[in-house]
Amino acid sequence: MDLTIKNNEAKFLVRLADTSLILGQRLAEMCSNGPFLEEDIALSNISLDLFGRAEEMYKIICDIEGNNFTPDDLVFRRNEREYFNIKLVEQPNEDFAWVIVRQFLHDIYVQEVYTQLLNSENSEVVGLAQKVLKEVRYSYIHSKDWMERLGLGTEESNARVQSAVDHQLKYIEEIFAFDELDKTYLADSDQLRSVWENDVNATLAACNLERKEIMPLTMRDFRDGFHSEHIGHLLSIMQYLPRAYPDAKW
Amino acid sequence: MDKFEKAFNDIIEKDLKVEPRDWMPEKYRKTLIRQVSQHAHSEIIGMQPEGNWLLRAPSLRSKQVLLAKIQDEAGHGLYLYSVAETLGISRQEMNAQLHSGEAKYSSIFNYPTLTWADMGAVGWLVDGSAIVNQVSLQRTSYGPYARGMVRICKEESFHQRQGYEIMVKMAFGTPEQKEMAQDALNRFWEPSLMMFGPHDADSAHSSQSMAWKIKRESNDHLRQRFIDRTVPQAEYLGLTIPDPNIKWNEETGHYDHSPFNWDEFWNVVNGNGPCNQERLDHHKKALSDNTWVREAAAAYAVKTENVVA
Ligand SMILES: [Fe+2]
Ligand SMILES: [Fe+2]
Ligand SMILES: [Fe+2]
Repeated sequence: MDLTIKNNEAKFLVRLADTSLILGQRLAEMCSNGPFLEEDIALSNISLDLFGRAEEMYKIICDIEGNNFTPDDLVFRRNEREYFNIKLVEQPNEDFAWVIVRQFLHDIYVQEVYTQLLNSENSEVVGLAQKVLKEVRYSYIHSKDWMERLGLGTEESNARVQSAVDHQLKYIEEIFAFDELDKTYLADSDQLRSVWENDVNATLAACNLERKEIMPLTMRDFRDGFHSEHIGHLLSIMQYLPRAYPDAKW
Repeated sequence: MDKFEKAFNDIIEKDLKVEPRDWMPEKYRKTLIRQVSQHAHSEIIGMQPEGNWLLRAPSLRSKQVLLAKIQDEAGHGLYLYSVAETLGISRQEMNAQLHSGEAKYSSIFNYPTLTWADMGAVGWLVDGSAIVNQVSLQRTSYGPYARGMVRICKEESFHQRQGYEIMVKMAFGTPEQKEMAQDALNRFWEPSLMMFGPHDADSAHSSQSMAWKIKRESNDHLRQRFIDRTVPQAEYLGLTIPDPNIKWNEETGHYDHSPFNWDEFWNVVNGNGPCNQERLDHHKKALSDNTWVREAAAAYAVKTENVVA
């Protein structure tokens, strides 16, 4: 089955769909591992939103591509290099601080992305963006609240969240290395960066966290299907059944 | 008999509900705490065997259905912990009792989930047997528990349908899928029946619980109801109940079955099932790995709201 995405808009959208899917999968790992029951439920909620969002986006992509394949084909039959999520979201759940920092950095980014997609010429994308913005609002409040609690809580929580920030900021630079597709389908890619920078800087400062200088990193671009080592493990777990039983319907 | 006890007995006799502020015998309270906390722990520990397949769910739809289901169970646990709290025990105490082994949870969750078909079998059989039990508990004498059951039963019947839907897909799928479906039924059939507890004659807490109307129907009665409704569902799937003596009895109007392996049941209850240790360790680890998170939240609350933690 040829799962190559050929249309430019679909190529742009699959980055968002994959980002949503992979983060959903990471958060699903937290199910029954949360710090307390209410938080467990909150993380599952966000994970469900992300899976739902990914599925809707894959449907739009499949439509654009003439429905030669389905959302499930895209999720379960593509290899690492055919995935186009930002590397940030495949980073593991080292501890609860990693979960929160990753979510926060992601939420600011997608909040602005989907805000800009309200101007899309594709009415289905606009419809989805409207729905997503409501969900992201909730997720953003949740992750930002925790940034504050952890940043200002105890010495230990501050140290843990600082270490998560230090690590994960490495995966931010690539997000803003926009290509022609980004510039075509985003209303204002420059603004995406400035909104993100302002929010992150203000929040870190308010939470007694430092934004350390990061040296330019040698890292291939997610837009070309390059990843950290984590993605292979994530996919091999996620795709195991459809790959092991290719003829089965689930 | 003092006037409080008389009022309590009146409530029970008239089939009214006991409410948290009513006087109740200490043993009634203790029995309820034991039962409700065990029920709550079952919901929570039950998240694990299903969580085992969450990351490997084979379609976007099944992944979302399973995650939503597990989340429902967490919600049931939360709700039931609050019911227990109205009886004067804290969630912390309940967790401590779970970890020390003083409080139990349903033994069924000590069995491993070995294939995707187990997600079907668990929904179909485990939620299925839970529903039979919980529908009966909608009439339990303690008000908050009874109302909780009404709410929870609605979701449980979704779970059962979704589980059965997986069984249908598997049983009518490829030969390998059908084999997984049969294998899942083989492993979960008897443990699901034992979820109803020991035979009435051997049930330690039953008679007092029935008198207080905490329990409304006996273990054996509920178990038979479950068998009678489940056997035809297995037949529809073209699967074989792993009991050669299952057959319809015209005279009794019920299905006959073989005696159960109670030695295995008690062995698992007493901690020696396939996953007892793993389930408890998982629960303890999630809590202890995140002590620093709860401490941070408490410290933050003190700093910002001047609330004493
Ligand atoms: Fe439940
Ligand atoms: Fe239940
Ligand atoms: Fe359930």
